This record gives sequence, C-alpha cells and structure tokens, in this order.
Amino acid sequence: MKALRYTALTVVAFFFLLPFYLVLRNGLALESEITAADWTWWPSEIHWENFAELFNDPAVPLLRSMLNSLVVAVLQTVGQLLLCSLAGYGLARIPYRFSNVVLYLVVATLMIPAAVTFVPSFVVVSTLGWISDLRGLVIPGLFSGFTAFLFRQYFLTFPRELEEAARIDGLGHWGTFWRIVVPNSRGFFAALGVISFVTSWNQFLWPLVIAQDQDSWTVQVALSTFLTAQSLNLHELFLAAAVSITPLVVVFVALQRFLVRGVTETGIKG
Amino acid sequence: MISRRRLLTATGALALLSACGSNTGRGSSEGLRQWYHAYGEPGVQQAVERYAQAYGKVPVDVQWNPGDYDSKLATALLSGTGPDVFEATTQVSAVRAGQLVPLDDVIASARDDFTASILAGHTVDGQLYGIPQAVDMQMLFYRKSMLAAAGVSPPSTVDELVDAARRLTAGGVKGLFAGNDAGVKVLAGPALWSAGLDYVTPEHQVGFDDPVAAQAIGKLRSLQESGSLLLGAVKDWSEPDAFTQGLVAMQWTGLWTVPAVQKALGDDFGVLPWPRLNDAGKPSVPVGAYGAMVNAKSAKVAEAKEFVRWLWVEKTEYQADFNQSYGFHIPPRKSLASSADKLRTGAAADAVKFVQDNARSSNPPDWTSAMRTAFEDAVARVVRDGADASSELRGAVSKVRDELKRLYG
Amino acid sequence: MTRTFWLFVGPFFLGLLVFVYVPIGWSVLLSFFDARNTVTPTTFMGFDNYADMLTDGPFLESLGTFSVFAAFVVPLTFVLALALALLVNGIRFMQAFFRSVFFLPFACSYVVASLVWKLSLFNGVRYGLANTVLGWFGADPIAWTVTPPWYWLVLVTLRLWLQLGFYMILFIAGLQRIPHHLYEAAWIDGARPWQALRHITLPQLRTTSVAVLLLLLIAAYQAFDEFYNVLGSGPFGRPPLVYLYYTSLGSGGQDFGHGSAGAVILSLLIAGVTLVQGRVFTR
Repeated sequence: MKALRYTALTVVAFFFLLPFYLVLRNGLALESEITAADWTWWPSEIHWENFAELFNDPAVPLLRSMLNSLVVAVLQTVGQLLLCSLAGYGLARIPYRFSNVVLYLVVATLMIPAAVTFVPSFVVVSTLGWISDLRGLVIPGLFSGFTAFLFRQYFLTFPRELEEAARIDGLGHWGTFWRIVVPNSRGFFAALGVISFVTSWNQFLWPLVIAQDQDSWTVQVALSTFLTAQSLNLHELFLAAAVSITPLVVVFVALQRFLVRGVTETGIKG
Repeated sequence: MISRRRLLTATGALALLSACGSNTGRGSSEGLRQWYHAYGEPGVQQAVERYAQAYGKVPVDVQWNPGDYDSKLATALLSGTGPDVFEATTQVSAVRAGQLVPLDDVIASARDDFTASILAGHTVDGQLYGIPQAVDMQMLFYRKSMLAAAGVSPPSTVDELVDAARRLTAGGVKGLFAGNDAGVKVLAGPALWSAGLDYVTPEHQVGFDDPVAAQAIGKLRSLQESGSLLLGAVKDWSEPDAFTQGLVAMQWTGLWTVPAVQKALGDDFGVLPWPRLNDAGKPSVPVGAYGAMVNAKSAKVAEAKEFVRWLWVEKTEYQADFNQSYGFHIPPRKSLASSADKLRTGAAADAVKFVQDNARSSNPPDWTSAMRTAFEDAVARVVRDGADASSELRGAVSKVRDELKRLYG
Repeated sequence: MTRTFWLFVGPFFLGLLVFVYVPIGWSVLLSFFDARNTVTPTTFMGFDNYADMLTDGPFLESLGTFSVFAAFVVPLTFVLALALALLVNGIRFMQAFFRSVFFLPFACSYVVASLVWKLSLFNGVRYGLANTVLGWFGADPIAWTVTPPWYWLVLVTLRLWLQLGFYMILFIAGLQRIPHHLYEAAWIDGARPWQALRHITLPQLRTTSVAVLLLLLIAAYQAFDEFYNVLGSGPFGRPPLVYLYYTSLGSGGQDFGHGSAGAVILSLLIAGVTLVQGRVFTR
C-alpha cells in the first residue's frame, strides 16, 4: 500500500518536473540537437556559451524586461500592501457613519475579476496617456478590493487587548496601526506580499495591453512576443524562459512557508 | 503630529511612484520616434538605425517591433502614445479616424517616379497617406530535384497544385508549407484571384459574393485534408527555413527570402505564381508595399514629414540599400527598379515578371483589418475545421458588406 | 473620527473609484456607442452593440469555448488536486519534497508553460516530445496545437500542470483542519479507509470544496494567457477574454463599442454566478 503510494507520487513528480527539464535541456543545447530527428535526453555537451549569445543579442531586451518586471512587481507588492492594509484597518476598526457604505462598495468589486474589465481599464489608462508607461503598468493594479477585504477580515480577529494597551499609552489609531498592529502581523503581510509578488511577476494580459513599446515590456510580454512571432532560435527562447523563472524559483525556495500560507489565506477566505 | 508626517511619507511614496512613470525610455522629447515591424532578414535593423543616425536635423529613435505589429501600432495610434513616423499599409478606417497625415506635399514632384499601382495602394479619396518603402511580393517556391524525383511537373492550375502537393508528400517530407495556419492568411487571397474574384471590387462592393468562392476556398481545404501541408513548423511562412531544411518540397513565401534560399539550395529551386483555378481566373502574386507614414496625433508633424521626405524621397541610395542589400524587395521607384541588378537574373527576375503580369494588391486600402478578420475567420473554419464553405462565406460577405457600407455609405 | 477614517481608507478608496468604478461606468457608456478607433465616440447606437454580441456567432462561440474548457478543466483539477492532497498528506517520509515538487509550477508563468507546451512537448514536427513518443510506436506526427480537437489536450494538460499544486495546497490545508478524533472513532468502529474518506473526509472538506470549485470556475472564465500564446489569432479556441482582446485591441479591432458591450455582458454573468454561489456558500 505504501509502496503503491510512493510509486504513484514518483510517477506524477516525474511529469511535474519534465517541463523544467525541457527548458534546461533546450536552453543549453545546440539548435541542431533540439531539432534532430532522433531524441536525445541530454545534449552531448552543455553549451554555456548560449548564455553569452542570449545576453549579447541586441534584438532580445531580456535584462531590460526583467528589470521592468522587477520594478513593477516590487512597486505593486509594496503599494498594494500599504494601501490595502490601511483601508482594511480603517474598515475593521475605525467607527464612521458611512463605513458600511464604503465596505459595500469595496465588496461589490469582488464580484467582477479585474481581468474581465481589461477593455474599460485600457480606455481609462490610455486617456491618462499611460500606455507603455510604468504608471499604467503599476497603478491600476494597486487597488485590489479583494486584498483590502482580506486585511479587514484579518484585522477583525486582531487581539483588541493589544490595541487597547497602545491606546492607554496615548497612541492614536495611526500610531497603534504602525507601532502595534503591523509589527504583530508580519506573517500575514509576508504571506500576502509573496503572493502579490508572484502574481505580479507572472501576469500577462494587462502588461500585454499596456506595454506596447519595447522599452516598457515586462519579461512575460517579451517572451510571448518572441514565442508568437517565432523570430528566435529555440535554444535562445528556452534559455530566456529559464532565466525568466529563476527569480521566482528563488522566491519559491526561500519563502515557501509564506507562499503556502498566502495561498491558503487568499484561496479559502475568498 | 506623527500621523501627519507618516501621511506625508505615504503620499510621497505615491508621488514618487507616479513620477518614475515618465522615465520608461519614451522620452527623448526633442527627437522623433520611428517604428518598423521586425524584418526577418539579418541586417535590416542595423540598416534602418544607420539611416536614422545619419539624419542631421533631429535625433530619430528607431524601434523594432517583433510580434503582432499591426495591433500594437493600432493601439498606440489610438491612445496618442504612438510613434511620430511608422511603416504601415494604408487603410481607409485609419484615414476616417483621422490617424494619418496626407503626404502629397512630401512626395511632390517625385510622384512620377513611383509605380502608379503602388501609390494607388496608399491613396484614399485622392490623397496619399504613405510613401512606399519597398514592394514585397509572395510566390510559390518549389524544389526542382524533389519534383523531378517524384515525376511531378510545376503546376499550372490549382488542381495540379493540389495533386502535386499530395504526390510530393512522402517519407517525412510534406508537399507544401504555407504557414502554420494551413495557409489561411496567405492563400485565401490567391484562392479568390484564381477564380477571377477579389476581396473588394473597384466600386467598393464585396468581391467574393459568388458561389465560385466556396469552390476556390474548398481547394485550400483539399490541401489540408489530404495531409500534404506542413503544420507546426518552428518558423512561419515568411521565413524560408522549412523549405531550405528540406521539410517540404514547396513553400509559399516571399521574394525577400531569395538570397537565403539561393545560399542554401543553389540552383535547385524555381518559383511560380499561384496558379489559376478556372478560365475566369488568372495566375496571381500578392503584392504590397509598406509605406512610411506620419501620425496625425504627433506633436511634431512638420518635423516628421520632413524626415519622411528626406529618407524615402530624397535619399535614393538608402532606398536602394534597403531594397536590395538584405532580403530582396522591388524598389517602388522606377529609376531604382531599372538599375536593380540583383533582380535581373534567376528567381528574382521571374518574380519581377510575375509582378508585371500577375500582381494583385494584397492590402487594398478599402480592405480593412476588420473585413480581413471576418473573411479569414470564415476561411479558417472551412480549411481547418471542415465547416461548410458556402455558409461560412455568406457570413463573411454580410460582415464585409456592413463594414463597406459604414465606410463608404 | 471621520478624518481618521478617510486617512486610512481614503487613498485606497479614491483609487478604487478611479480605476475600478470609472472604467466600468465608461464602458457601460461606450457600449451604447459606435466606438471604432476612438474612445470618445459620438454616434449613439442604443442596444445595437449588445444585440450584435448576443446574436453574432463569435462571442457566443467564445462562451461555448469557455464551457468546453471548464467542463474538462474544473472537474479534472478538482479530482486530481484532491487525490494529490490525499496522497501527499498520507505520507511522512519525503512529504515536503513531493509537496514542493507539485507546487513548483506555481512559480512558472502561463507564458513560459505555453512556450514549453507549444515548442517542445507538443511541437507539431517530428522532434516534439509527444511526437517522438508517438514515433516510438510507429505513429505519424500530429500537429497538436493547430488541429482540432488535439489542441484541447495541449491546453488542458498545460493548465493542470500549472494549477494543480495551488489547489492541492488548499486541500491539504482543509485536510489538516479535520479533527483527528473523528478518524480515531471511525477506526474503532472498524471503518475501512474508503469509508472514512466517504463519511468523514469529504463532508469535512465541504467548505474547501465549494471554494475550490468557485475559484476554478472563475479562473477558467478568465483564461487568456495560454490560449493567446499557444493558439495564436485563429478563430478556434477563443475564450471570452481572447475574443474581446482581438475585438478591442487586436489588429482586426479597435472596436470599443462592441468590446465594452462584451465586457459588460461578461461582468454581469460572472457577478451573477458569484452571487448565486455566495448564497450556496453561506447556507
């Protein structure tokens, strides 16, 4: 029974790792080896010089696009955590006559996923002149009703005694939030932050719509362009793909604990 | 007090966020921005950058655009963030939307030196919107040795072509490659012309509202159904790789690949127009020319026009270089075409003759991309999915008719 | 208190208005106009755009495409993710390893996965891995990504690979919340493993299951990346967002009237599903 379990798991694991292996194999092989009629599991020689070819190819702005992705992902993560946690706290803890109205307006946006309204969002962003512009890539994604709502739900369960102690010490809501609530919620922030970073790095539709100009491409747009235009050699394309997932594999290995928590927080409570 | 300072930090961060937005390289506020689609032939990108650098009056920033150039350009023009100068085909819809600047004063007295039919492709309501850069034509390439080995002679009718493709398919080699979409994009036009039909008539009416159209498109379906088409190749029809690597005996591609094909295959290839289907039809080759255009929403229309005049009217040596030094293109100017030595011999000479005898416009201005999409979607359903050709084409006819009515009343 | 409230909520709420409510409002407006090549149209069309979208083939077809896709992907992901969760949760040795392996594709984008699936696994020529395997059995190569119905196999396996790990994590979390004493009581009563699964595990996972189903459905509804990258711009396999993309922003498009009408219809549909599901969920 146990042996059966492990056999099944190993077979499935093989298929899960296969695509990663293909990326590496194709990225480090000669073009002629990839397109050869006979399948080889591993190139006869590893062609490290493919890296030099990739990074020296002026037609492939890989580093530039990865930098764009990094800037977008970091700004979006930080901005979203900041704005949404403040809003969530306000909605959870600060009494205000119309706070319910505001809450309804936030919750109402949960019914419509942002991707579905990409056409209208494009219209607004293009009117602002933010096409091919970092602002157009980052700012519309900051105001996630979902994240704000998650923060509100979380802050509702935050121990009130801690906050009351802070109030006795003379801190207002603002001070309490920054001195007591945030430091005691690091795990929650980290969980949502990691998810937000991964989602932002991997998002495609919105950057595809906004990043028209090559200088503003994110790495996903760059890869997709070369994939659909079929204008690159296979080994270069696969090596670029390998390079593009490296940052996330690092995040994955280093922060998996938060990632798992983030998945459960965002998945179930939604 | 703390709270106010914190608030300032927060808003400061937001302000910073919006400030860094402007710095994505679109800047160079005093220069011009010029867009090209990505030419497949090596050297073209460096060449157009060289031309731009040589322009003394204002700096010109060239952008190369791989991928779906047409939609990228359309989006950029719409949102006002587009380039000042770009290459495109003229479409009546873009003219009606006020996106293009008339260039009659730019071409001025050089007008007579340009091939009239090519200029017509950039003219809407009597005004010229693009200065033709290079004439591109597509044709059928075949491998002489493979045809000889199979005892197949070069096809002169569509039926012979379908038959040849089937007989040439053997032992890991396919008969024909016309794109990974089974030829929908590049062969739908030739299929109409082969039966004496067209996209649109000179009177701006639908050109394929005829039962024969279904028969013509049906031939593309036969090609696909017989299994003689190569599908899923790494490089698409516009690159010669499938042909030069011996994956196919015939490929539909363009004149521009001739240097690469010659290098790989020497004399072992020949070229043909798309053959006729019936007596009403004629052999055809699609011909089109990207034109240099000026964005009407540009803040520097005058400078942009001057640059276009300099590059595509005045600097004839650059035009010659652009047309001849990389892939092969036919210079749109008669004075250059007549002195183009590389087009005097072999397959290139045949191509020039096809253009004289069999040219059909691949992008007439009144055939907008909305119409093209409707038509190609219908053809794709027939060719790839086996849908009924008559009813699919009827649907396309009615969409194209609506669109023509909207544009021409 | 008012000031403090807006100090916290204000920046976010302002952004929400500008980047969520204004676009929706604008798009409702645009959907009543002939807005080709412009976002500030002048020709009022009434409900014509809606009528076109709801009678015209391609948009309805795109909803059909979504339905086919969801019919495969939702149940398959659900069952396989649950199976993986049960398998992984039931072992001690190397549990973390297997969990990480199955979760690892989550770090990959749909674009990268499309690249691998289109150009390596399911490449149409003889050196694609799937065709190589077919070759071992003497079969002819298949042009997977351009031939119906094979492209469904490509798209469904791609999405399974990418999202199984995510839902497996959700199920594992659900499994770990089940009180252990329930199982102990069952063992004492002599229950077999599948009986325990049927009578304890599945009922206890009800909340998780409902959430997973809803998430899967919404994710399938928004499918875009792999369809765009694997299939290209042909008329096949165009789910709603891909169709809207080509209508509004593709080379054949710039038609924001019809695009907006489509966006409004899609929004209403998904809001409806969420509301109904919300009812079921809270009951």
